[in-house]
Amino acid sequence: MQFRAIGASGGNRAPRPRHQALVNAVRPAIIVGSMPPGAVATPLHSTERAPWFSLQRWAHVRDVLRELIARDVKLRYRGSYFGMAWTLLNPITELAVLYFIFGSVLPLSIPNYAAFLFTGLLVYTWFQSSLFSATVAVVSNRDLIRRPNVPLAVLPIISVASTLLHFLLSLPVLFALLLVTGVPITAAALTLPLLIGVQFVFILALAYPLAALHVWFRDTQYFLKVALQLLFFLTPVFYESKTIPEQFRYLYAINPMVGIVDGYRDVLVRGVVPPWQTWLTLLAVSTGLLLVSLAGFRRASRHFADEL
Amino acid sequence: MNAAIDVSNVSKSFRRYRPDRPMMLQEVLARGFRGLRTTEQFWALRDVSFSVPRGRAVGIIGTNGSGKSTLLRLVGGIGSVDSGRVRVNGRVGALLDLGSGLHGDLTGRENVIVAGVLNGLSRREVLRRFDAIVAFSEIEKFIDNPMRTYSSGMQMRLAFAINVHTNPDVLLIDEVLAVGDAAFQRKCLARIQEFKANGCSILLVSHGLAVVQRLCDEVLWMNNGRLMAHGPVNQVVRQYEAHVGYTMEPELVAEGAAAAPVTVNAPATPAPAAAAVAPGVPALPDDGGTPAEGMRIVAVGLLDGTGHALEEFRSGQPLQVAIDFETTGAASPPRFRVRVVREDGLVCCDLATDGIDMSRLPSTGRGRMVLMLDRLDLNSGRYGVDIVPYPEAAPHDGGAQAPGCPLTVIGDSVREAVLAVPHRWEFDAGAWDAGLAGREPTP
Repeated sequence: MQFRAIGASGGNRAPRPRHQALVNAVRPAIIVGSMPPGAVATPLHSTERAPWFSLQRWAHVRDVLRELIARDVKLRYRGSYFGMAWTLLNPITELAVLYFIFGSVLPLSIPNYAAFLFTGLLVYTWFQSSLFSATVAVVSNRDLIRRPNVPLAVLPIISVASTLLHFLLSLPVLFALLLVTGVPITAAALTLPLLIGVQFVFILALAYPLAALHVWFRDTQYFLKVALQLLFFLTPVFYESKTIPEQFRYLYAINPMVGIVDGYRDVLVRGVVPPWQTWLTLLAVSTGLLLVSLAGFRRASRHFADEL
Repeated sequence: MNAAIDVSNVSKSFRRYRPDRPMMLQEVLARGFRGLRTTEQFWALRDVSFSVPRGRAVGIIGTNGSGKSTLLRLVGGIGSVDSGRVRVNGRVGALLDLGSGLHGDLTGRENVIVAGVLNGLSRREVLRRFDAIVAFSEIEKFIDNPMRTYSSGMQMRLAFAINVHTNPDVLLIDEVLAVGDAAFQRKCLARIQEFKANGCSILLVSHGLAVVQRLCDEVLWMNNGRLMAHGPVNQVVRQYEAHVGYTMEPELVAEGAAAAPVTVNAPATPAPAAAAVAPGVPALPDDGGTPAEGMRIVAVGLLDGTGHALEEFRSGQPLQVAIDFETTGAASPPRFRVRVVREDGLVCCDLATDGIDMSRLPSTGRGRMVLMLDRLDLNSGRYGVDIVPYPEAAPHDGGAQAPGCPLTVIGDSVREAVLAVPHRWEFDAGAWDAGLAGREPTP
């Protein structure tokens, strides 16, 4: 090792300006993985492009996801008296109030209204609570961001997945309600997992930009609160989407939650499978959004550690 | 060269805002948008390049705010560079913020698994090492209790144990070696040396130069975000000391002693020339220290009663402090002062050659002064032995100090006191009330 004199630490090249560095330095390896001992070492993270796919990396991401989701679920209601029951108490109280209002006070005369309403409520609750928790996913996990080896892109997934678990746990109650109120459960219900998958992708596509934006702009969560409150009325949760006047239909249908909630209703309450055009649109829109927002999140995530 | 870490021309800046930057919209509206602009760019790192070959341990030293930790984080892939390139080959292990990723509401067991997976292990690997981790942390009994019920020492021990039970190719360490008690620290150091022996490259940030000297093969010296020097440990440490006007103050002796609890006075690489002068006496760097005018201390060593290098010191044993020095035309005979300082800075004894006729010493030449202590009844603990040469003109507190030697005293008593005075207890039943009566012990 040769000894270097003071100041002789390389050339006097001025560092490039920040914005150019931002454009040039591509570091897609947010998902950093592990390798078994003895494997040939490849650069796991560097400012250069890392291999996009490696089995070990994905195995590690899977383990990280599993552990962090388990932690999230364990911690969510730890110390509370009702615990997991809160997952159900919320939509059930809403169901009671809305059923009273639109069943008796301002009757909408929708068939199977209780099942109709509860389906919409559960779907919207998952959407809403996962976005709330995903928005703060990066900011509230500061210590994970300051650790090497943590694939940051998993953070919003954890929020969406742990709320998904709560959604799945309340499905039996929904089925019980369908049975009690005499709604026949048909083979159409078999497409439910596909619908859940589409909704997962769609929520995630919104979660990434929200989580990243919240790092720089802490008002995001307040805006989100207002937006979701308004969106509740613009989504057919307690009314039918076909009651929207013809001239507003197109505008109304921009909200993908309209198609998703209608999809659940078709499958569960009306017992029909939505036409393939609907599926295609939902899938294409959600996947397209997700790809764009994930790319944006990865770009932004290089700066998380500096901003938090 | 297949380097484990390769950093080339890395620069990194942080934006610094005005102190009165408006944080809320109402302030922005009141004062206009001008305040929002960043005022200056603060360069945390400027054009830093170095590489670490496999299996080498490299220390990073420098004053606070010199960019050490930023550099370490970038190597760990945390944060983005403004320009340049960081490459790391292999799995990164980190002892950065130890407690991060642990959650107080989870039990120790749950935390071990989550944190182990976050460290890059697979779930199965974590489960396989689980027992080893718990054994290392020494909290077997509490592993199923929530982490918030742990003492901070227990939390740190568990965190450390999790973090050292990975098999990284590159280990990053940031000032975390002061975890737990002396025994645990020793274990931590041993573990890190084990990593190194297994071919793991280490990048270590520390203010404790003794730790750096003990663990590292090379040192990077950072100052104001620039790499000032990169080279052999003693050379760079000396440069750094000269730069910051570093003198071995009692606190620093204590730090050195605390960091190296087992070995008594063993600098990482003794300079061969000096070692030849005084076998058994560890050498100081060639032009080490800046002692009194006309005199230079070449080496300092602690010897046992028979004049051999000290292996371990038990309270009450004799101790010799050997000082090899060189005089080059000093105007007056040299004088010496030796202090034994406890790790918290308390001076336990301060012995000088005052009143001793030193005129016999040659004004030019070499020699060894030995301070003979017939017995040293210090309580067990960590001390430093300071050598303070000073010129005739300034009999007290004059002259620069040579770096001290750490001295660990082993004894039976662990009570808080400076002295472990030789003593015994006797029982005499017949002597009761024979003269002590009426003098009851004050409560």
